[in-house]
Amino acid sequence: MSVTDTSPTVKIAADLTRTPAPEHKDVVFDVQDVGVSYDGNLAVREVSLPIYSNEVTAIIGPSGCGKSTFIRVFNRMNDLIPGAKVHGKVLYHGEDLYGKEVDSVEVRKQIGMVFQKPNPFPKSIYDNVAFGPRVLGWRKGLDERVEEALRRAALWDEVKDRLKKNALGLSGGQQQRLCIARALATEPDVILMDEPASALDPIATTRIEDLMHELKRHYTILIVTHNMQQAARVADMTAFFSVDIAPEGDRTGILVEYDETSKIFTQPSDQRTEDYVTGRFG
Amino acid sequence: MRVGFQKGLDRLEASIHEEGTLAMRSLRGALNALVQQDEELADEVIAFDDEIDARYLAVEEGIQELLARQTPVASDLRLVLAMLHINLHLERIGDYCVTIAKLVKLAPPVAPDRMFVDAFEEMGARAEEMIRVALDSFAARNLEQAEMLVDLDELIDRANRRFVQQVLSFGRDPKLHEWGLRMIIVSRCFERIGDHAVDIGERVAFLVSGEFREFTDASHSDE
Repeated sequence: MSVTDTSPTVKIAADLTRTPAPEHKDVVFDVQDVGVSYDGNLAVREVSLPIYSNEVTAIIGPSGCGKSTFIRVFNRMNDLIPGAKVHGKVLYHGEDLYGKEVDSVEVRKQIGMVFQKPNPFPKSIYDNVAFGPRVLGWRKGLDERVEEALRRAALWDEVKDRLKKNALGLSGGQQQRLCIARALATEPDVILMDEPASALDPIATTRIEDLMHELKRHYTILIVTHNMQQAARVADMTAFFSVDIAPEGDRTGILVEYDETSKIFTQPSDQRTEDYVTGRFG
Repeated sequence: MRVGFQKGLDRLEASIHEEGTLAMRSLRGALNALVQQDEELADEVIAFDDEIDARYLAVEEGIQELLARQTPVASDLRLVLAMLHINLHLERIGDYCVTIAKLVKLAPPVAPDRMFVDAFEEMGARAEEMIRVALDSFAARNLEQAEMLVDLDELIDRANRRFVQQVLSFGRDPKLHEWGLRMIIVSRCFERIGDHAVDIGERVAFLVSGEFREFTDASHSDE
């Protein structure tokens, strides 16, 4: 502090016991009464929630609660599954994601996805990242594009000297970051991650989590995770899904609670959330 | 269900209640030493504080291990945080009892007026009641009972103010003056024990409701 600095060194908060409500950014997805059914059986029922831009939103819940099914709604991956049907409305920046004129390939360019198991192509590191841009016909400045994507995925320093080597020679954690780089190369707006760290060791997991903090400056991130502490560490907002079992035995995923992550892990509003996060579920 | 975790929580809570019982024993000993001017008993109270401190440390270590290994969240997290604070408040109560015991030894041996003895007995009994109410409200997760501590605190505060007035009305006897000065600190110790009991009540309210608020705010009160 300089001598001329007259700013007070002690600031007195008006109310020390309250933290101000965090301000959300724009709504990227406005999910309205969305359900998913397979061959007429409801897998996820009537979910409504907003997804905010430049935040990490985690989806947690027990096995079979439909969290993976739900995240696939956002890039129309369910279109690829025979018999799958999405009900309700998903607005993406105000536009109907399931509108007749919307091209699902174009959607998947905007909304990238990273899966549980790293799935690089059996090609070079470079070709893996360049694949998407090439498919889209973006030939100009490809080297720069590949480098930028690898940098953003925090992998560049580790692979810059072996870009032509086979991607399958990378470690599991590196392969997963390569898959993130591959998703970033097509300049998406949103990245969906389905259990991105569940096959990785703790150190590789930490790197992916750190990366999420970094990436949310540029992208909106949705993550499905089994690991509640991971959600607590990385997410700004958390949605808790549970399973509703009908008397006839039909199991349907339902959204129980959606709130700030800190609220979910300190004062959840719903007893079912409380039971799940404290480990008293089942 | 995380059986080991639940057992750990239960054990810690039981330890807190035992620590509370020790603190109340210390308070009773300090009060008896005071009204009976019993220096030997005062020494016992001072030595007894080691037991409270040992319990305090054991609870603190248990909480540390639970945080490191079990990552409590939601109501479990609030319980652990409440216990962390209650543990410290009980340890502080023990310290005030030690201060009272030390002042018993330091004060000149004057035979105080019966009204001073009565005042001490009143404050001691009120402080003891407040600790009991605080711990009962914790055991029962009873918000209403915890909030009762505010009214009880007002009574002990008043008793403390009355005591100070009485000391101020002393004559010119220097021995009596010294005794009065030391006894004002004793009175203040009882009053502070009451404050710690109120703070325990606030932690109980936080545990039950999920919201932390001070029952009374000394820096914004009317007085």
